[in-house]
Amino acid sequence: MRLWNSPSIAGKLTRMNVMVSGTALLCAYFAFLGYDLFTLRQDLIGSLSTEAAIVGANSVTALIFDDQQAAESTLSAMRQSPQIEWAVVLRPDGARFAQYSRDKSLKPAMRDSLRPGERWGYWIRGRNILLGRRIEFEGKELGSVYLLAETSGLLHSALQFGLLSAVILLLCFAIALLVTSATRNLVTAPLTGLAETAQIVSRDRDYSVRAEMPRSSDELALLVSSFNEMLEQIQERERALQHSRSILEQRVQERTAELTAANKELEAFSYSVAHDLRGPLQHISNIAFLLQATMQETRPQDRELIGKLFEGSQKMAALIDDLLNLSRATSTPLHRAEVDLSEMAGEILHNLQAEEHGRCVRCTIAAGARAVADEGLLHVVLQNLLGNAWKYTSKVEDAAIEFGLRLEQGGTVYFVRDNGAGFDPAYADRLFRPFQRLHSQSEFPGTGVGLTTAFRIIARHGGKIWAESKPGEGATFFFTLSGDGTSS
Amino acid sequence: MAAVWLCLLASGAWAQAKPSEYEVKAAYLFNFGKFMRIVGGPAAQSGSVFNICILGRDPIGRAMDEIADNESIDGRRVHVLRIADATQAHNCDIVFISPYEGAAIREDLAIIAGTNVLTVSDAPDFLELGGMIQFLFQGDHVRFAVNLDAVNRTKLVLSSELLRVAVSIKGGPPGGPQ
Repeated sequence: MRLWNSPSIAGKLTRMNVMVSGTALLCAYFAFLGYDLFTLRQDLIGSLSTEAAIVGANSVTALIFDDQQAAESTLSAMRQSPQIEWAVVLRPDGARFAQYSRDKSLKPAMRDSLRPGERWGYWIRGRNILLGRRIEFEGKELGSVYLLAETSGLLHSALQFGLLSAVILLLCFAIALLVTSATRNLVTAPLTGLAETAQIVSRDRDYSVRAEMPRSSDELALLVSSFNEMLEQIQERERALQHSRSILEQRVQERTAELTAANKELEAFSYSVAHDLRGPLQHISNIAFLLQATMQETRPQDRELIGKLFEGSQKMAALIDDLLNLSRATSTPLHRAEVDLSEMAGEILHNLQAEEHGRCVRCTIAAGARAVADEGLLHVVLQNLLGNAWKYTSKVEDAAIEFGLRLEQGGTVYFVRDNGAGFDPAYADRLFRPFQRLHSQSEFPGTGVGLTTAFRIIARHGGKIWAESKPGEGATFFFTLSGDGTSS
Repeated sequence: MAAVWLCLLASGAWAQAKPSEYEVKAAYLFNFGKFMRIVGGPAAQSGSVFNICILGRDPIGRAMDEIADNESIDGRRVHVLRIADATQAHNCDIVFISPYEGAAIREDLAIIAGTNVLTVSDAPDFLELGGMIQFLFQGDHVRFAVNLDAVNRTKLVLSSELLRVAVSIKGGPPGGPQ
């Protein structure tokens, strides 16, 4: 019964087999029962007809010679046929010639009789069959014989047959069930194995398992072998994928290492170049300075040439400084410590003011801006941002520079704001690339390295730097610093 | 009902509700012919006749003619002959010896003996005299008795069906060849 309610294929197969065999057996049972009843009845009618014919033949002389006794003695032979209850021989005019009845009290009414021209016939009334047959001799009708049979014997044998058949049916059913449970595994075992394997594959992502092959070579075997083949292919693909991934990873590592080495080399190279350029440049600068100071009798055009030489060497020195700063920004290790940015900003602005007397700039510095960062590098950042602000406000009447901070969800955002020349926001992404300048050298002099340096330093601190501006309305540079400073 | 009535007409024997004694006897005489045969006798030839003879003064009358009219037995047409002398009986198949013959019956039987003729009468001691079938009454039914010894002396054989309805049978089963 556990299998009967089970939603599994085994349960379905059991139910199917039980229903199919049960239906077939029941159909066969009723068909045979009906056929048996029919043949039993036909047999009874056949035997009654034969007996009537015999009685008729034996009654010929009795009828011809009017011997009722002889006719009755013929009829009394009916006692040998237990199903015959009553028999009668009639004259052609319907008068009763001889009669037999098993039970003397039985006096059945003759409601049916042969129609003219009918040689024989039968009538079934309830449990009784009445059969009539004409008695003829040499083509002449001498009379007729009627037999009344009781069919309870028929019913009895039908019942016996029915019971016997029911027992056979139950036996067959039980055997069918046994055979079902024996053969069910032929179908369900491979399916169950397949389902379990599929479950393992989808749950554990283990493509190395295989479903067990059934011994037969039917559709189930095909299904199982296809499934296994599919697993094989997936496994193959997985392996290939793993292989190419590891190759890729290795390649990335190699490239990264190569790039890092190349980068380091390049940085060391540019640092040493910048550093080594400084000495000769200093000489040129010094000589130009001396020439300017010592040569009194020079033509004005020579004096101008020497001035340009001096100016050029100064610019180159500044560029070399900036390049060295940039190099340092990427290569020097970070030394984090608490830094007072407000104080640093004040100092820088004070120095800028000191370098350029006569300029009036309104400087606002928010107090208490502190951060844990590399003091030297952050000084470079502020120097760049405040220096830019100082530079780009040089042509504004009422110049104003502000250093401030605001607390946002991500942490502290510092900013440097000016009301100077500003820039076109469409080029904002170019601001932090090296040697990219949004203003001409003649308008605002510069090397194009400062913001790149600031960007690298902020990036090394794990922060972000960005700018907002509109042309002619000044610019604001924002930056953040991640407090813990895990970045290298 | 009409068909039944027609059947009754055809069978003839029961044409009337209550047939007279000699009407019944005439029918019996005719029907005896259907249950007798001659062993080793010539096969019935078409065109030959089956003679039912009445010897002596005829008590049956027209009833016999009516029954035999247009009938045949074993394919032989039935003729009714009335004969006055037993010597004329050798052509007959059945001879009905009138009860009016009285004492002459013994003589008639002696003359007929040796021929294969069925002898029938309603004389009271007909069987004792050596006759073959004798009519008698049982209640108001006409019945008959058989002297099988007399039959067995000839080549005649009576059907066992006929013997079954006989009131009594005198003599044993036939010893001769069947």
